Amino acid sequence: MSTELLEVLDRIVGRAGAGEGVEAYGVDETETSVSVYGGEVESLSSARTRGVGIRVVDGGRIGYAYAADTSEAALGDALDEARANAAVGTPDEANVLPGGGALPDMPELYDPAFAEATTEEKIDLALRLEAAARAGDKIKGIDAARYGDGERTAAIASTTGVRGAYRRADAFVMVEALAEADGATTSAYGLDVRRTPAALDVDAAAAEAAQRAARLLGGRKPASARIPVILDPFATASLLGVMAGGLVAEAVQKGRSLFADKVGERLGGDHLTLVDDGRLLDGLAAAPWDGEGVPTGRTALIDAGVLARFLHNTHSAVKDGVASTGNASRSGFKSPPGVSPSNLFLAPGPDGPEALLARAGTAFYCQQIMGVHSGANPVTGDVSVAAAGLMVRDGEFAESVREASVAGTIPGMLAGMVAIGSDLRFLPMGGGMGGVTLLVEGMTLSGA
Amino acid sequence: MMGPPELDDGDARAVLSAALATGGEFAEIYAENRVGRSLQFDDGKVEDLTSGFDRGAGIRVVQGRRTGYAYTNLLTREALVEAAAVAAAGITGSGRVQPADLRVVAPAVTHPAAKDPRSADRPDLVDIVAGADEAARGVDGAVRQVTVSYADALQGILLVNSEGHRSTENRVRTRLVVQAVAVRDDVIQMGFEGPGGSVGLELLDAHPPDQVGRRAAEQAVTMLDSIPAPSGEFSVVLAAGSGGVIFHEACGHGMEADIVAKEASVYRGRQGERIGTPLVTGVDDATVPGGWGSVGFDDEGTPAQRTVLFSEGVCTDYMTDRLRAAELGIPRTGNGRRQSYAHLPMARMTNTFILPGTDDPDGIVAGVDRGIFCKALGGGQVDPASGDFVFGMTEAYLIEGGRITRPIRGANLVGDGPTAISRIEALGNDFEMRQGVCGKEGQGVPAGLGTPTLLISRITVGGTEA
Repeated sequence: MSTELLEVLDRIVGRAGAGEGVEAYGVDETETSVSVYGGEVESLSSARTRGVGIRVVDGGRIGYAYAADTSEAALGDALDEARANAAVGTPDEANVLPGGGALPDMPELYDPAFAEATTEEKIDLALRLEAAARAGDKIKGIDAARYGDGERTAAIASTTGVRGAYRRADAFVMVEALAEADGATTSAYGLDVRRTPAALDVDAAAAEAAQRAARLLGGRKPASARIPVILDPFATASLLGVMAGGLVAEAVQKGRSLFADKVGERLGGDHLTLVDDGRLLDGLAAAPWDGEGVPTGRTALIDAGVLARFLHNTHSAVKDGVASTGNASRSGFKSPPGVSPSNLFLAPGPDGPEALLARAGTAFYCQQIMGVHSGANPVTGDVSVAAAGLMVRDGEFAESVREASVAGTIPGMLAGMVAIGSDLRFLPMGGGMGGVTLLVEGMTLSGA
Repeated sequence: MMGPPELDDGDARAVLSAALATGGEFAEIYAENRVGRSLQFDDGKVEDLTSGFDRGAGIRVVQGRRTGYAYTNLLTREALVEAAAVAAAGITGSGRVQPADLRVVAPAVTHPAAKDPRSADRPDLVDIVAGADEAARGVDGAVRQVTVSYADALQGILLVNSEGHRSTENRVRTRLVVQAVAVRDDVIQMGFEGPGGSVGLELLDAHPPDQVGRRAAEQAVTMLDSIPAPSGEFSVVLAAGSGGVIFHEACGHGMEADIVAKEASVYRGRQGERIGTPLVTGVDDATVPGGWGSVGFDDEGTPAQRTVLFSEGVCTDYMTDRLRAAELGIPRTGNGRRQSYAHLPMARMTNTFILPGTDDPDGIVAGVDRGIFCKALGGGQVDPASGDFVFGMTEAYLIEGGRITRPIRGANLVGDGPTAISRIEALGNDFEMRQGVCGKEGQGVPAGLGTPTLLISRITVGGTEA
């Protein structure tokens, strides 16, 4: 499949004129999704999509066009569109296609056992997931229980010699459990992501959703206080996703990052290291090369407390006179490469979640945050998000809390990250953020 | 490539027959062509102009509560029959339903563009965004960054089902978005303005690019003078249009029939109950001329309509798609929407809004001794099970002694839907709509949001000052 797609891309690239840069990026993917409710299959969906996106660079001008059709005629039209789009572009010397050559593969991303699972086995996983979640203590129902998988081949070829293809496959289960007591309902997610359906742990995902939903029951608004906040792995992953917006070089260059001009400055303690690693196989965003065919790598953004560097694609790297970090991102064949983190995570510390609770003594354990995209701002650094969770007293979980608000600033939070848990786990927020239990000082908890 | 995909009745019935071959009781073909352009203008430069076309068909088969679905972006008879067989493989029924003879159904309302977006060629688009950029930069020296984006999309849909329905619809949407960043000393603030509609270039007559640019920049500059927001409970006046996102998130989602059916809605079983104050009448209306969320048919061929969600505070009708209407035994309301052929339809809002009241907007503010005046909300999120919501205020001010005084920053509105509408104690005689992209189960669809100026007598404000 990948050879066939690469040959299609080669033919487009072969039509480039003298001095014209052409890059063709193709995707061929199949997906399956099973949704169950009340012990029955609600929907079973399967699909195959193919498409190609073409980038043309001519005299520093850039244009992009795509087609959900890999026929010679459709791609010829798309190439003409991309050329016409480039013609009205603003010349920019950083508009260049990366050089390179044959790209590496990462065969570990595709486990042949992925293809062995039958549709019946996938349905069974979803049904078992739902049943297990419903069996949880104080659980009155579920909102959704789903199995999903995808197999995707990405290929790229360009006039600068970049050429490669790789395949990856993932399977996941996800359930949202609803708990009820005294007329109030709470909800929480549980999930598991693996390389093959057979490796999925549905019981763990179900237990996670049920336990997390049930422990929020009986929540009340907290009294306003400045106390330590313990972010659970889901909350940490969400916040990292927002913080990441300020750590891509494009945002810095455009004056949209609170981290601009802060390289070399101390942001936190020696134990604070923030890493992006596109080659980390445990990460959900692992890939051998990025959205424009630059090999991925490991980048320490904050190194032992000091802001070290930003994430780059080729455009932002040329502007800064540095090498791309291999963080060109694509949301599919319909958009040109942007910049975003791959597997972004805080280097885990020595202590587990219980030790962090014990260390804090009294704290707010923040299980859910809502409104993170409006409430946490990578430009101004302000953070103010709605939260639900539990109070921690004497190092133990105490009463639950709802309709709370947690506020602070990103620099304040980084400086206040006094302990990073050992429980690193990648979660599908913003691509593949690392979730970890995190003890943060200096935030404000408010309620009524 | 323009207009809906073509599929003659013979081919359509062959595909539907293949879809029903395993005993399904209902089958449907949703096929679409979509062409779009998007222009990003950043820092005074054309950063990216993208154009493209997407096309495909989704085949759905239903048996009882079970749905089989498959999609493909090959639209040949052969590929569609193959996709139909894949969708049918998910179904095992004993039915022997045959597709009915097809009859063409015309939409009762349409939203044609007065000015075809394609009449603007590439250099014209550059002029449009450059005009917005220049106006934004002219507002104040503190305006440091301006990003303008223009997008248009033409979507041609063919919908055929085994009950004999055959319809086509052409949709057009155009939007202009300006984001401005203003900087003074260590303070950075942003402004946003993003009008759009199911319209063509006439959008720019109603919203000239220079005005759109100026408004975004003024918001950013105004907020430079902001002080950290207080925390606690306050009376909050939401300016016309700005409250729409709360009504959408905290009241609308819970009135979607799938959420109701799954017992995940705080409004389940409360039809006929007074939840809001008698001032509150809220509707979902896909027939609004040129509305951002307007359609002729929903994405399963049900005609667009207006559905009353709350009538004088009383919870009335849920929004349904085909499946949930059948399951709950209530009428179809034309709310079956999907992001594209690659997605299953589900109950979604179209244009959702609170109807205007009779109060003078200035008088509403004058009646508040100490509170918050919110002119623009950012994104929000809600847990439909509890109705709990949070929204960031992107442009807000203190109200002191009935007067709007200092701008405040970093504040959230935190509450729950039923409580919020039970505390709406004044509604203005003005009205504005805003535009959003509503996300649900990974699908984004355009949604219109609207309110008059309104007063919530008491709601939690989460600020940075404890």
